[in-house]
Amino acid sequence: MYRYDEIDREIVDARTAEFREQVQARLSGALTEDEFKPLRLMNGVYLQLHAYMLRVAIPYGVLSSEQLRTLAHIARTYDRGYGHFTTRQNIQFNWPKLVDIPDVLDQLAGVEMHAIQTSGNTIRNTTTDPFAGAADDEIADPRPWCELIRQWSTVHPEFTWLPRKFKIAVTGSPEDRAAIGVHDIGLKLVAKDAGEIGFEVHVGGGQGRTPRIAAKIRDYLPANELLAYLTAVLRVYNLAGRRDNLYKARIKILVESMGADAFTQAVETTYRDIRGRELALPAEEIERVSSYFVPPPAGAPDEAPSNDRAFLTWREVNVKPHKVAGRAIVVIALKPYGKAPGDATAEQMEAIADLADRYGRSEIRVTKEQNLVLPHVEAAALPSVYEGLKAIGLATANAGRPSDIVACPGLDYCNLANARSIPIAQAISEALEAAGLDEKAGEVTIKISGCINACGHHHIANIGLLGVDKKGEEVYQLTLGGIADGDAAIGKIAGPGLSANDAIDAVVTCVQVFADRAELGETFIDTLTRLGHEPFKEAVYGA
Amino acid sequence: MALDSTRQLTLDPVEIPAERSPEDALHLAAGSERVDILFGSFKDGRGFSLAAHLRKAGFTGELRAVGPLLPDQEGALKRVGFDTVLSDRIDAGGRGVRVPFESVYQPDPTGGGTAEPAYRQRALVARGQHADALAEMLEGASPEAILARTLEEYRGRIAVLSSFGSEAALGLKLIADIAPATPVLFLDTDRHFPQTLQYRDALIERLGLSHVEILEPDPEEAAREDSDGQLYARDSLACCALRKVRPLNRALAAYDAVITGRKRHHGGLRGSVKAVEFDGERVRINPLAHLSASEVSERFSALDLPNHPLVEAGYPSIGCWPCTAQASAQGSREGRWAGQERTECGIFDPEPGKRAERAKSVRLI
Ligand code: SF4
Ligand code: SF4
Repeated sequence: MYRYDEIDREIVDARTAEFREQVQARLSGALTEDEFKPLRLMNGVYLQLHAYMLRVAIPYGVLSSEQLRTLAHIARTYDRGYGHFTTRQNIQFNWPKLVDIPDVLDQLAGVEMHAIQTSGNTIRNTTTDPFAGAADDEIADPRPWCELIRQWSTVHPEFTWLPRKFKIAVTGSPEDRAAIGVHDIGLKLVAKDAGEIGFEVHVGGGQGRTPRIAAKIRDYLPANELLAYLTAVLRVYNLAGRRDNLYKARIKILVESMGADAFTQAVETTYRDIRGRELALPAEEIERVSSYFVPPPAGAPDEAPSNDRAFLTWREVNVKPHKVAGRAIVVIALKPYGKAPGDATAEQMEAIADLADRYGRSEIRVTKEQNLVLPHVEAAALPSVYEGLKAIGLATANAGRPSDIVACPGLDYCNLANARSIPIAQAISEALEAAGLDEKAGEVTIKISGCINACGHHHIANIGLLGVDKKGEEVYQLTLGGIADGDAAIGKIAGPGLSANDAIDAVVTCVQVFADRAELGETFIDTLTRLGHEPFKEAVYGA
Repeated sequence: MALDSTRQLTLDPVEIPAERSPEDALHLAAGSERVDILFGSFKDGRGFSLAAHLRKAGFTGELRAVGPLLPDQEGALKRVGFDTVLSDRIDAGGRGVRVPFESVYQPDPTGGGTAEPAYRQRALVARGQHADALAEMLEGASPEAILARTLEEYRGRIAVLSSFGSEAALGLKLIADIAPATPVLFLDTDRHFPQTLQYRDALIERLGLSHVEILEPDPEEAAREDSDGQLYARDSLACCALRKVRPLNRALAAYDAVITGRKRHHGGLRGSVKAVEFDGERVRINPLAHLSASEVSERFSALDLPNHPLVEAGYPSIGCWPCTAQASAQGSREGRWAGQERTECGIFDPEPGKRAERAKSVRLI
């Protein structure tokens, strides 16, 4: 993992001190609420339905056990004993008091964390593959590049007052587990024949009200030119992005209105003007940052045989192959049946930190599916890890299975929501368990958003639900066929809006059709492509 | 792109609303000494990019940010290129002086800011330490050993500077024997002796150098700054800046290490040249540093290398024809810019004022 040097520490400390003064200025009235609002947002502080919410950045989803323990401590001391992991690989605390927040930020700074730019019209936390550095299909580790982007984008003097928020995702695998197609900028590491690496650059993807798949604007960008190119994209956007209409302010709208070709040309011209020594990443710095992300040593060769059926199922579903011999990737699904997706209690976080220390090189990842991952577990220790997770109720064998549902906070927390998401997810999860569908159905993704802002990523769900408000009533729109990773696709609306109960039934029905009709080894998308949408619609809405 | 100065110089500020396009802004700012960028709201970040764009394009007048801006924004505004922030919110509420962040992660738009971005600070320290270690290790090593080690160490980011002058063939031969694809940078000032160009082509062919970059002055700049082709006579520093310094700096941006032909026996600033040095930005490799004049000529004949045709004609050091005279001693530089105080071409140093103090000029192989 990356460790701060003096410069990093100084910048985070300076930012924390700056925000402490801003909070004081707000409390004393020197700053108006209108002035304070964007300042608090860019330090991760939201005003939610019931209280302030603090969103802490987990840079590209990588946590040390020490950091996870600090998050547990914050949850216990300043919140109600739990935290909520988000689809952006961050964690949110829903109940801190404004006056406490500078103290929380100090504690975070003590373990090299912060809440900088987790909100506001800024460059947000960069996201990546949760299996980075462990996946066996990786071209290059994306984390050094994410760290370089993290630093470059932090307190950027030019790009802190953008038209709208801005999200960058990086993938190092052809598989793409980072959903680069639905980000403002999606970067895909590619290798040239000579072995040099660079980036394929995609711009203008996004979800929300106008879901768009990003356009590829460059096939190959030399890796050390990354910052110059990002600066060019951001400058074109900062100058030309719309500021008159909140809903048209994202870069996807700019790319669409200019046309991908004209947009690309504007970026390339700016890039040519600004590239040079100062923006080029020096080889020494790339090497320094990369040196923090070396692969773990091989694990012990033997994995003890087991005939515990439950363990074996969990192993098959939640454990993924590692690129280093004798190691494995463990997905901890924060999706026990009937519980709120993505929530973890302080005790659970501490227990996971212990497991990471004991068996997994003290490292934890957060995924956009609102799960945690132990990326470098000793294969021989898998039974012990399983037992440890079972003890805290997190050994459900459902990673990637139907009940591994993603849901935004929705009406229970969010003041933009039209409808509830978490209770719907809980009810679906219970129904799926009752019907035994996790075992019967293969891979499928279900995602729920409480409004068109799409924080629950419903657009890119195989089966998506979107909460809408119809004359004061909560209604849900069902979408089918969305894909998050790789060849990203936006789901299509299946039919008229449904009541909460009907929506729950509809989702379970779709999973049932999939389970009944799938051929061996098919994913939901395979089956949907083969059969078309009709059989699913028919089952939900009748003939 | 540079600004034309057709507009009359004036101290009345030109006012540019932040929503104007960068092209418009550049046009409006041209020739003015003071530009006010008008921010409609403190949340509107366009003015930040506009300022960065103007600075990058070469605007050197005063830039003022005008509008309801917050004291919290002053530091960033100054970093993107503003000199002053005019806002009635700046002193509101008695919040005291803002302390700017000491370290930064980003370069300033002109690249000439006060603080280097963290990635450069760290890299330059590491590069310097590494060069020192190499220098120690290669102390007293042969030119071949120095080249073998450094060409490997800096592979992909090392180039050779060569004037294809009187002593160039030796260094180029050694490099061609180890790594013939090493980029060789040649400055075509458009003022070379025809013999130099012929010699250059013959050497490239004979040594099998497969990657030669010919660096030319920017045609637009040349037309503007030296329209009659006589600049060398009026201001040789400006001529070298146009024909050598800037083209070379553009090309060098891609390299972290350069091989030069400097030798201690050239005397002057070169009396103490080491095999590996760090100039604050790049590593300079001087594989021939310790060779004496006679050792150079011995190796020349031992390797049967062809001489530059002008050496026979009495030019021991060869540059552009307007600035090279005959001289007496072999290897001597006294014929360069004869009758002027200069002895170096000023390559590497874009700012003539700092030239002497930095002493960054190099002798080409
Ligand atoms: S999708 Fe809507 S309801 Fe859900 S968290 Fe985002 S803004 Fe709130
Ligand atoms: S050496 Fe003379 S001719 Fe050549 S660039 Fe310099 S001033 Fe001009």
